[in-house]
Amino acid sequence: MTLQTVAAADPFIPRRARSEVARKAFFYAVIVLVAAIFFVPFIYTLTTSFKTLPDAANVTFIPHPWTSSAWHTIWTQYDFKTYIKNSVFLAVVVTVCNIFLGGLGGYAFARLKFPGRELLFLLVPGTLMIPDQLRLIPVFVMLTNWHLIGNFSGYILINLVTATNLFFMRQYFLTIPKDFEEAAKLDGAGYFKTFWRVMLPLALPAISALVILQFQGTWNDFFWPLILFGQGNPAHYTIQLGLAELDFQYTVLWPQICAGSILAILPILAIFLAFQRYFISGVVSAGVKG
Amino acid sequence: MATASQAATPPRSTMLGVRLREAGWGYGFVAVPIAVFGLFFVYPFGYALYISFFHWGILGKQAGGAGTFNYDKVVHDPVFHTALKNIAEYTLGVVPLTMALGLSLALVINQKIRGRNFFRSAFYFPSIASSVAITTIALYLFNANGLFNHIIGSKTPWFQNAPTVMWAIVGLNSWTSAGTAMLYYLAALQSIPTDVYEAAAVDNTGAWRTFWRITFPLLRPAHFFVLVIFGIGALKLFDQAFVVSNGLGGPNYSTYTPVLYIYREAFTTFDFGVAAAAGVLLFALIFVLTLAQRLTVGREEAA
Repeated sequence: MTLQTVAAADPFIPRRARSEVARKAFFYAVIVLVAAIFFVPFIYTLTTSFKTLPDAANVTFIPHPWTSSAWHTIWTQYDFKTYIKNSVFLAVVVTVCNIFLGGLGGYAFARLKFPGRELLFLLVPGTLMIPDQLRLIPVFVMLTNWHLIGNFSGYILINLVTATNLFFMRQYFLTIPKDFEEAAKLDGAGYFKTFWRVMLPLALPAISALVILQFQGTWNDFFWPLILFGQGNPAHYTIQLGLAELDFQYTVLWPQICAGSILAILPILAIFLAFQRYFISGVVSAGVKG
Repeated sequence: MATASQAATPPRSTMLGVRLREAGWGYGFVAVPIAVFGLFFVYPFGYALYISFFHWGILGKQAGGAGTFNYDKVVHDPVFHTALKNIAEYTLGVVPLTMALGLSLALVINQKIRGRNFFRSAFYFPSIASSVAITTIALYLFNANGLFNHIIGSKTPWFQNAPTVMWAIVGLNSWTSAGTAMLYYLAALQSIPTDVYEAAAVDNTGAWRTFWRITFPLLRPAHFFVLVIFGIGALKLFDQAFVVSNGLGGPNYSTYTPVLYIYREAFTTFDFGVAAAAGVLLFALIFVLTLAQRLTVGREEAA
């Protein structure tokens, strides 16, 4: 109503256009405000990580004085260096295994003919029905019996390949025309060589999406690292475990805690900024298939 | 030699050989994935049921079966009741809020606006940041002397206070997952044919009315999908409850969730039998919901 009164006051601008401009301005004001709710927490956390401890009690966005001592402390004294190394190691190994095994399995289910294929493939969606919370106890008991608790091999073993990744790769292989494989076969390539030299490179868009989502998934994982190496030796902590531990031990050491949080997010932010479209199309396509 | 036999029709025996060879490679290629799924998903499913019927501690199975002892213990445990009550409140709070926020953001992003991709990324980013880091940031912003209390002029320690902590997690997680809900809604909005809106424009229907009478009902499959996905996710709440309570579920059991109950039964009480039984019960609940989704979606597609 207010918009219309303003418009009526100026007879030279058509009523409609005037209210349209006001509406647009209002709309942008709202959306910028909403975006701020999504940004401000991160920016505020980032600036606090450069504050001194007494300064962190002040609700200000500019550190006074600036100091990188919180970053220095977590990196060396609280050993975030090791946690980052562990997280990078696990994320890289799990992602590479998933590309290879998910691709290999996905290719066989998409293209090779063998008796019982459809029956075996039922395992893939079936797997998705079994939540981690049910697997937790038996998997823990099994890995304990095999002495795979408290080291990385147990974690890698249970994450070698996920049903989601295999399914995703299979769907992509189904869209590649068969001509490529037939050409490879005419050149005398065997099944593995066809997969490795021809099909896997053709699936690069699918692999990119898989890499991003799996790296992020392993990097952010808290539940399984907590179960498998949370009880023992901090030398095996991932960044998420290390950050949770920092929260518990130094409840109000805000500059350090803020620096740790930023560190736990930063690599994912970098990948996100570089490959946004893969993230977004990955989520939507996973959702549509549901 | 393979090239030579391609030209003419190969003899029957070679055909069989080719098929056998293909099958062999096929089994070889799927062997590791199938072994992983079998060993770490299907087998544990049965093993969890098995463990739930035994007295099972850190040293393994004790002699003699437990019957339904573990299930009785879980079902009659007041802590488990509290966990169920907490998760029910949480789910009823977080799911509608996430849907409303996600749909609102999707409607905004679906307009012809400048910097559309920028805003979409900004809204989506919290969804992919780690739950531990996001919760840590929230602990900082919502502490008694934090930014939030400074703005609203209060001293409430939102995450350390039994009456407010679950609602603080509701707020936190709706904010975090709104971006994902937005992407699902955005995909659904973009699949609505434009002639529907053209017809509404011809009838001179207002924007508000168009939304409630046309857009909202047409989004029904998306509502249902988002409801089930986030509903199931909500029932599994763990990371945030663990981080805000140092893994203890406090203060006064206010952050106990079923998954935290399973975790604590297993790793602080070391009663794997009870933990497995609680896991089976939680699975049954999630399974019923998933089944309801499959059946309803199937019926809608058939109709």
